Amino acid sequence: MTNQKLVILLAEDDDGHASLIQRNLKRAGVVNEIVRVRDGQEALDYIRSEDAHAGRAPGAPLLLLLDIKMPRVDGIGVLHAIKNDPTTAQIPVIMLTTTDDPREVERCYQLGCSVYVTKPVQYEEFVGALTRLGMFLEIIKVPHARQ
Amino acid sequence: MSQHPRAASPAAHAPSAVPAERLADILDIAEDAIVTVTIGREIVLFNRGASKIFGYAPAEIIGRPLEDLLPPGYRATHPAQVDGFARGPEVSRVMGERRVVVGQRKDGTEFPAEVTICKLERGGETLLTAIVRDATVRKKYEDAMVKMNQELEERVRARTTELAERNVQLAQKNEENEMFVYSVSHDLRSPLVNLEGFSDELRTSLKDLGKLLQDDQIPAAVRDRAADLVRGGMGESVDFIRTAVSRLSRIIDALLRLSRAGRVSYQRQNLDVGMIVRRVVDSLHGTIAEKQAEVKVGDLPPALGDQTAVEQVFANLVGNALNYLSPDRAGRVEVGGRVGSPTADSSTDAGGNTYFVKDNGLGVPPAYVPKLFQAFQRLHPEKAAGEGIGLAIVRRILERLGGRIWIESTVGEGTTFFFTLPAPLQFSERVE
Repeated sequence: MTNQKLVILLAEDDDGHASLIQRNLKRAGVVNEIVRVRDGQEALDYIRSEDAHAGRAPGAPLLLLLDIKMPRVDGIGVLHAIKNDPTTAQIPVIMLTTTDDPREVERCYQLGCSVYVTKPVQYEEFVGALTRLGMFLEIIKVPHARQ
Repeated sequence: MSQHPRAASPAAHAPSAVPAERLADILDIAEDAIVTVTIGREIVLFNRGASKIFGYAPAEIIGRPLEDLLPPGYRATHPAQVDGFARGPEVSRVMGERRVVVGQRKDGTEFPAEVTICKLERGGETLLTAIVRDATVRKKYEDAMVKMNQELEERVRARTTELAERNVQLAQKNEENEMFVYSVSHDLRSPLVNLEGFSDELRTSLKDLGKLLQDDQIPAAVRDRAADLVRGGMGESVDFIRTAVSRLSRIIDALLRLSRAGRVSYQRQNLDVGMIVRRVVDSLHGTIAEKQAEVKVGDLPPALGDQTAVEQVFANLVGNALNYLSPDRAGRVEVGGRVGSPTADSSTDAGGNTYFVKDNGLGVPPAYVPKLFQAFQRLHPEKAAGEGIGLAIVRRILERLGGRIWIESTVGEGTTFFFTLPAPLQFSERVE
């Protein structure tokens, strides 16, 4: 059963990166809606159904793909904020970033991210991680080989 | 204070050839002051030298207490000291070896003096004699020398401080540079991800387009021209872009690794270097077998350093040795070490231990040696893949660990890399 309601929230300020991530997720068989926001503040608004996203039905299942370097609130800020709020702490978070600095990685895991992925993304590995994370979320429809 | 018990009586000496009255004359004209006092410290003899030095005529001072020749500050304690000497076992003593002895002239001025005293006992009477030399000039030179030494020390201290400050400044500059390189290469990664990702997308699209073009419904002439464009024009361009992008990516990664070598924090601990090298050699067994090389590991003294960093140093040097072996002879690599390490000019031992990685490979031409430890320099790019930053990282690591590295090499014979690391701490010492 595909849980069509699960939304993948992609917070990414770089249009190119966002496009590449969305293309590759679709190619790997991810059928869920992917909502893209351009910075951390907008991500928090979406999660909390506030401001521009006030109309969103709260409580719908979410999976978060977070870039780190973003304007206004950065990825670490978002991670920190949602993991410290009991109503959002359960949302799985995948960090997607160009930094492979061990200290940064360590910090994100300490803050409670589920997976840390370094760009350029090895999409096979990435989708593998997504699938493992999504075992209980059933986000992958039919994984089919990329041509 | 030296104490030289001399013969108890002049009678023990061989009889002098000089008659007694001549001796008195000699004493009288001596340049040094000769002052004799009774046990009650009353002056009974005052030669010409004494008059010159103290400014008294004998008639003025004979019969006066010895303390008249001392500055007021010394007068109170002096009688007891004289008494002690008079009653003690010594017959002579050099004064002022430990502190300056000061005399006072008739005009009240004081002067530094070298003084020896002696005691003559005869027929129940004790005479004490002081031989006094004005040490003003000697003292002046001594003081000048002390001052000069102090100035020298002061200059050395100032210079050392200046050098230390400059070192700190350089280290800061270095850190700033590394931080700059780090943030720039990091920022470069973001556009690079786009280049990499979209050139991949283009390649995929081209493949799809190629398949579409196989459709029979498309006129053959159009199909052929389009196929040319897809394969030749577009395909080739995309391949060049992808090659350039992956090269750029490797350079940026190398820059990040290089700047990280200067930034990552180290845990200094006592290291079993032998174990580290065995592990490095084990991890290289594939390359060693492929090159049919022989790797010998000798005795390796322990060191103080960061385990991962030191492992990286050996892995790089042994890896280099294997990569640049000569095709003309069976490859041999030797790793060894010894306790102690020479300073840069080989003049003294700088402490710490010395290690070496020696090969019988291609060797490094002398002209290339200065470039060897610079980043992005490659001597034999055809021999192995890489960006030429290995030795730059090795040098940076060793610098940070408090060691240094140098090379001895002969083209056609081989290369030896030497490096030093601090000696391990004793149990009583503590890591900072």
